[in-house]
Amino acid sequence: MTRSNETDVLVIGAGAGGAAVSKRLSDDGIKVICLEQGDWLHPLDHPHLYDGWELERIRSWDWHSNVRQFPEDYPTTGNAAPMMMNGVGGSTLHYAGAWPRFKPVDFRKGTEHGVEGTIDWPISYEDLEPFYAINDAEIGVARRVGDPGNPPRPEGWGPASRGGKIGNKMGAGFNKLGWHWWPADNAILTREKDTRLSCNDCGFCLGGCPRGSIASTDVTYWPKAIRNGVDLRTNARVEKVNVKNGKATGATYIDRLTGERHEITAKIVVMAANAIGTPRLLLMSAQPGHPDGLANSNGLVGRHLMFHSWSFEDFWFDEPLDGFKGPEPAVSYSQQFYDTNTDRGFVNGFSLQVGTALGPANSALGTNTGNTAPWGPGHRKFFNDHFARHALVYVQGEDLPVATNRVTLETDIVDSSGLPVPHVHYELHENDRRLIEWGRARALEAAHAAGTVIDTASTGIGGVDGPPPGWHIMGTCRMGNTPEDSVTNKWNQTWDVPNLFITDASSLPTGAAVNPTSTLQAVAVRAAEYIKRRFPEIVGQKVTPSNTDAPGF
Amino acid sequence: MDIAIGPRPPRNAEADPRSKFRAGKPPIGGWLPGLAFTPTQTVVLNTIVDHLIPGGDGFPAPSEVNVVAFFGKYLPPDGQEPRWFPFIGEVEFKGRLDALGEDFNGADPTDQIETLQLMEQRDPVFFHRLRDLTYYAYYSRPPVIAAINKNLEAGKDLRNSPQPYGYSDTMDDWNDQLFNNVQGSYTRTEDVRPVELPDALRGTRNNHKVEGGLSV
Repeated sequence: MTRSNETDVLVIGAGAGGAAVSKRLSDDGIKVICLEQGDWLHPLDHPHLYDGWELERIRSWDWHSNVRQFPEDYPTTGNAAPMMMNGVGGSTLHYAGAWPRFKPVDFRKGTEHGVEGTIDWPISYEDLEPFYAINDAEIGVARRVGDPGNPPRPEGWGPASRGGKIGNKMGAGFNKLGWHWWPADNAILTREKDTRLSCNDCGFCLGGCPRGSIASTDVTYWPKAIRNGVDLRTNARVEKVNVKNGKATGATYIDRLTGERHEITAKIVVMAANAIGTPRLLLMSAQPGHPDGLANSNGLVGRHLMFHSWSFEDFWFDEPLDGFKGPEPAVSYSQQFYDTNTDRGFVNGFSLQVGTALGPANSALGTNTGNTAPWGPGHRKFFNDHFARHALVYVQGEDLPVATNRVTLETDIVDSSGLPVPHVHYELHENDRRLIEWGRARALEAAHAAGTVIDTASTGIGGVDGPPPGWHIMGTCRMGNTPEDSVTNKWNQTWDVPNLFITDASSLPTGAAVNPTSTLQAVAVRAAEYIKRRFPEIVGQKVTPSNTDAPGF
Repeated sequence: MDIAIGPRPPRNAEADPRSKFRAGKPPIGGWLPGLAFTPTQTVVLNTIVDHLIPGGDGFPAPSEVNVVAFFGKYLPPDGQEPRWFPFIGEVEFKGRLDALGEDFNGADPTDQIETLQLMEQRDPVFFHRLRDLTYYAYYSRPPVIAAINKNLEAGKDLRNSPQPYGYSDTMDDWNDQLFNNVQGSYTRTEDVRPVELPDALRGTRNNHKVEGGLSV
């Protein structure tokens, strides 16, 4: 028996974007091979049943691959700590599952202000909305409809995650101020779906989910894609995307189990290796005719990296708040200050996202902000006053796409297969600093409106003594309007190589002020639908069509 | 070239090619069976952790709940590179305990605390790892969880681990009345207009032209 190395579509990466593309294409019988450098995770690979579960978060489940150092990981250099996971599910294996949508204004930031590298998206919210809805149904979103701060959204698979004492307390505070707020949409089941269990409010979302409640793609898209016949190859680390006569012909990968190299040939190649991995691989794929890397004739591959601008604000109240229960990262959000108001001295805006804490060890060790319980005689009182009386408010700001924030190749350091690793450089723009500073004061205002605050602590701008958390990695191969302003056209088709697509968060031209996975996955579903409907035309194209000339649906 | 596949099971567990990756990962829950400490080392460690988190007020002392065993699981055994938290291996850790030794064990509690304070000043990296591992260990122990349940209203529902039970049985749902007062709006696509840039951002507007005349 043999396994064919020829396919219609080759997908690189089995995370949020790659899984969505693989499943949607294979729904209509398109032959797909997907290459993933990691492996499957077992439910008992999660730490939720272990007594050291809180410690594992800085060890086997650390978000940063440089800390985790798994064989399937690749290190990064530079001044940032991009948080990524390698495996079937990609970074959805440890993501929050917070599921907001971008707002209509987010697709028109070029029109609104155009600061630094900001451009309009080549599509509108209305263009993307049907694919948000398709994707929501696939993953089983938990939602309460009726949010007056966003366009109407369809009913969820289940109701919104429970808010608990924290949600109700902060909600009352927002109401007192007359500010917008709403229960968070979450990619967390509140009703069973397929073989996935509904959430039991265990409070530890950012270590993945052994119940399959959180919509990581290993439990959402992949079982269906594999039933469709997708050939998902794990431990398959791509070394190079191959091109001949201006068209992608496939990719060469290293089987990490055997060390052998294999070549896949494909009519279309889809990159979905995340906003660090995709530009890394494109830059690694320099070859005759593409001396600076694939799809990089304009030098934009790797540029305009966005992480969101952040501050974490911890507030402790004078009453129990059950912070160890419920959806850890996103109970609710206020988007009162989402839109640009230049009277504040900056463009763009932010969400105030309400979250929880973890267990007693995390509380003793400073919760999210380094407010650590003292050792010695003062320990007991500090702990007893703080534990489970806490609410977290994330100030999550939209950061500008800045050309010098970028991913490049580090030539001197290699991964375990000998491939060059990415160098990641990121500096917060002064606009984004001002935005977060202003937002921190609003978070404090909301906490005081909610109740009696007995203690506060903050990471300040950009995290504790470092760059912002790099868990939303976006923009490094953005879709756009012309070959001068972007890497792909509005169908995620690279301007330089017509049968090479990019469908991860690197394709997002702006990052909005919300968690990006629902949007990147909607974009991936839309691109897959386009490939599906226009497969013969795309395969026959010798030049990538402009947004106007592309055949569309 | 096509790849041959077929029913070729590994001859034994070691032949599973994935097994070579296991040593490259920290085992969840730590290394079993865990390190063994000498009686002197055990007393030193118990003395330290009891100073870091004094018992009382309904809470056990760390030495009463076998924090030492937790240390034993999370300190990498000799031969295992200390690549993960707490980033210190068996030999070095035990060496530090031995250096304190019987002198530390026999000292007056005030002098023991002074020794720890000096360690915090002179070797903060090691001290903070010791402190952090103590906090992780102590607050993982079932008797400590029971003490939290009994003594803290805020912690009465806490369980030893998040799964398998979770907290749906004690989790409050939304107060629906709150939603009667929620306000909010959003800018529709057709209503997006250019803004006047703040002074600090003048000159930073980009020159990207947009096909179809959408913007700029």
